Amino acid sequence: MSLPSRFFLVGFTAGTAFLSGCATDAGVRQPSGVPVTEMRPDERGFVAGTGIESQDLVSVTDKMARSILGIPQIARAQTPPSVVLDPVVNNTRFPINKDIFLTRLRTQLNSKAAGQVSFIDRELMKSLERERDLKRNGQVTASADPNVVEFAGADYFLTGKLDGMTTKTSAGMSDYVLYSFRLTDARTSRIVWEDVAEIKKQGLEDAAYR
Amino acid sequence: MVRLGSAGAEVTRQRVVTLLRHVVRAFSCFRPMNLSLRPASRATATTAVLAVACLAWAGCVTVDEPSRAAPRTPAVSEPAPTPTPPAPSAADRAMAKAERDRVLHAYRAATEALRAGDFAAAKAKLDEAIVRIGGIIANDADAARARSLFSAESTKTFIGEPYERVMAYYYRGMLYWRDGEIDNARACFRSGQVIDSDPNAKQHDADYVLLDYLEGLATAKLGGDGSDAVKRAQARLSSRAVLPNPNLTANVLVFAEYGYGPRKVAAGPHGEQLRFVADESPSRSARLLLDEGRRIVPLPSYDDLGFQATTRGGRVMDHILGNKAVFKTGANAVGDLAFAGSVIAADESRRRKRENKDNDAADAAAVGLGVVGLIGKIASAAANPVADTRQWDALPQHLSFAALQLAPGDYMGKLEFLDRDGAVLAQRTQPLRISVQSGGRDTVVFLSEL
Repeated sequence: MSLPSRFFLVGFTAGTAFLSGCATDAGVRQPSGVPVTEMRPDERGFVAGTGIESQDLVSVTDKMARSILGIPQIARAQTPPSVVLDPVVNNTRFPINKDIFLTRLRTQLNSKAAGQVSFIDRELMKSLERERDLKRNGQVTASADPNVVEFAGADYFLTGKLDGMTTKTSAGMSDYVLYSFRLTDARTSRIVWEDVAEIKKQGLEDAAYR
Repeated sequence: MVRLGSAGAEVTRQRVVTLLRHVVRAFSCFRPMNLSLRPASRATATTAVLAVACLAWAGCVTVDEPSRAAPRTPAVSEPAPTPTPPAPSAADRAMAKAERDRVLHAYRAATEALRAGDFAAAKAKLDEAIVRIGGIIANDADAARARSLFSAESTKTFIGEPYERVMAYYYRGMLYWRDGEIDNARACFRSGQVIDSDPNAKQHDADYVLLDYLEGLATAKLGGDGSDAVKRAQARLSSRAVLPNPNLTANVLVFAEYGYGPRKVAAGPHGEQLRFVADESPSRSARLLLDEGRRIVPLPSYDDLGFQATTRGGRVMDHILGNKAVFKTGANAVGDLAFAGSVIAADESRRRKRENKDNDAADAAAVGLGVVGLIGKIASAAANPVADTRQWDALPQHLSFAALQLAPGDYMGKLEFLDRDGAVLAQRTQPLRISVQSGGRDTVVFLSEL
């Protein structure tokens, strides 16, 4: 091979080899990351998961509504028991709109229970008291005697709690959230019903964010 | 197809033929062949060279860009093929950039609103940011582009470095507390600590003092046992200062910040190294004076964002940018070498010409190496390893906190900042008024030097 051919061979080979080695992601495992996947809580994942989303809200409240309607205190009650909703306690690492859980649970029960259970609106208590006082003072009209106490008392309190556990490793991040709800007898303080739902999620971010 | 009609063109054609002959001869050292360059063979050789070049360039695409399209769902009939979308206009590109920087703008707007006392606007902006930074970004086209050789890191959607994301959660937690949602505030402080955690850098893993302390205080206020979190906070603070025991009867929570936060710079030969400049601010400490100075509330620095930014450990993206920089340097060197070889070959050609020897091969080598050199130089110039220095530039350096017990009412006072010797920086003193609300909700006071 002549000298110029050697020159060419060396230059061309070096250029080709160099360009074919433009691997900026070389040595980076799964550079595109792994999309978040939902798993069964009892399933072992390669990492542990992420936040509370609308599908979790739907599945959890659906499950709780079905579960509550099956208990004897509700299903066999002579008169529909009155239930007060107490705010959910968030013990996870995810800031959430806590009311949305109870709102959906209440609407599910109201729509599916067909009068088996009634809810007491304590959110409007201040407005209701003000209206009652106006009636008592004769400032507004009343269709019934406003001096008779008619605000219903609670037979049960329904509340919930969200607990979470986070794992972060070089393989990604996972979050496990335990949704627990309970119905407490207002007279005896006994918990007459309790149920849980568990969701675990995991994912790995794109290498550009790691 | 190039039309070669003139005598000069004939010479050029001869040189191209010679170049191809050298290519074939060069390859024949790996696979011996006996080829004479007839027209058909020339076409074959041209195709081979083009194929090799295309393969070489294709090698630069290390990760296929994922499709933005939604996953296909089973359909009864195949939809009609969609026409190729037109090239993005300047307005589209501007929109795309605005979208990529949305979180950055939300961060900045949030701090402006916070410092102006517009807490509703601050909440809205922080929520907008947290929606983005709270998720996991995977299979993202912008992120893939940022990893590619010829795009800057800043082409990815901005979410900020961990210390910036932590601050979004810190501020949001403070605002949740202000709204009486202590459990959501605690959730934000926990998320901040998770963001700061780095499995590969255990020494400074999740080491914000205030995040742990506030988690413990929130848990205690909610009736739980927050002592573990408070102990963790004290352990992280070590001997620098002593944290006050959580006061459950405290109804006024003071969140203070002072000093100027870290700045990002792109260092390294090609700007591929993300570095943080954390200058020490004049304000090293602060104190709150109430009741005409009779009550002094110290506000020492519990967390230093400059320290947090510089101790988090390396990023995977740094590795990618490092590879880009190596390519840029290497391509430039290949270009230099090829050009040098081209000059030598040209010199050899002239020498052979003077000696009335055949110089076609040397000419061809000069041209070929020149082309390789040009490709190397272009590739080097196009490679973009510059680190992303977009930053939330309104962050403070020091974070402090105090919890007080005050009866409902208005309190006049002032906020003083102290230098390293403990002297008051008089020109930075701020008068303030604290309105303590009645009822069960804590009063949250946000004080900022910035």
